[in-house]
Amino acid sequence: MKIIFELSFPLRSDLMTTVRLAAGGVCALKGLDMDASEDCKVCITESLLLLKHRGYAVGRVRFFESEGLSVRVEGEGVGQEEESPEDEISLALLSALLGTVETTEKGGKLNSVSFEIGSRK
Amino acid sequence: MTESELFQRYRETGDIELRNLIAEKYLYIAAILAKKFVGRGVEYDDLYQVASLALLKGIDRFDERKGLKFSTFITPTIAGEIKNYFRDRSRLVHLPRKISELRASVRRAAEDLTKELGKKPTANEIAQRLGISEEDVLYSAEAGGVVSLDKPSEDGDMNFYDVIPAENDVFERIETRDAVSSALTALSDKEKTLVKLRFTEELSQAETARRMGVSQMYVSRMERRVLEKLRERLKKSMAE
Repeated sequence: MKIIFELSFPLRSDLMTTVRLAAGGVCALKGLDMDASEDCKVCITESLLLLKHRGYAVGRVRFFESEGLSVRVEGEGVGQEEESPEDEISLALLSALLGTVETTEKGGKLNSVSFEIGSRK
Repeated sequence: MTESELFQRYRETGDIELRNLIAEKYLYIAAILAKKFVGRGVEYDDLYQVASLALLKGIDRFDERKGLKFSTFITPTIAGEIKNYFRDRSRLVHLPRKISELRASVRRAAEDLTKELGKKPTANEIAQRLGISEEDVLYSAEAGGVVSLDKPSEDGDMNFYDVIPAENDVFERIETRDAVSSALTALSDKEKTLVKLRFTEELSQAETARRMGVSQMYVSRMERRVLEKLRERLKKSMAE
């Protein structure tokens, strides 16, 4: 799949807004409607939080060309693991907003979240 | 008591106090989810309220025998309600009910007459059928059209946005809003919810009752009480 845009950044909460803004830009570029665009931003944020809680130091978000927009969110490096009761809600929210979410694990730990969202205007 | 036992007991007894206990226990999910949807032009408080009502509805629908955890069950329910709220809210411009009804009648009459006459009816024919003026028929047709504010006005030089007059009496509006806001502070949380559902979202008493998890009769009585309370407060503030 052809990559449209790629971001790599330290997995810190204070950078989430920047990632959301970039995601919003890509969604607009792909002509997604506002609802799909907002859902995409929420799903990326939730995926990154899940990865952050699993102790990854770096977040990578890649946007691929597809019918709508394909997104892959990955964790890299080693950071601080945090237990969060909100993870369960994040996973349920991803399923609720997306229907289909693909996840991969590395060493028994969630490593990536992939999903496709929206349709062209 | 475990989650499963709690829900089982509520399902068996329908005890409202137990439901409230469950609601308090899981209200944090409503708060978390409301936060996640902030930034789409709706205040957190409003989202929290929508999420909380969805939580209440979800408690009634949850069946612990299906083996699902409540948090897994309720998250999509709340997310769905919040998204519905966004969708409903996006229809910002509502036609007055009278005009909506008139439009519906005109459309029905036009369809009937088309079948009967074998041609599209004139405004006059529709007006005669409905016993209304021809002007009303034309007005109802106009009222339904969506017009862009960027569309050039009739004189062509400017668009509608340029020619729509600004609200002149801003101060009066602010004063009224302040008076109403202040009067609303006298209401309990439940009464505020009722005002929001009935007068902001313009829901029927039945739907309001459904969302609040109470009977329509209860809503009706509470509404009378709230209006009376607001009337008194507004009278007082105007006298001051």
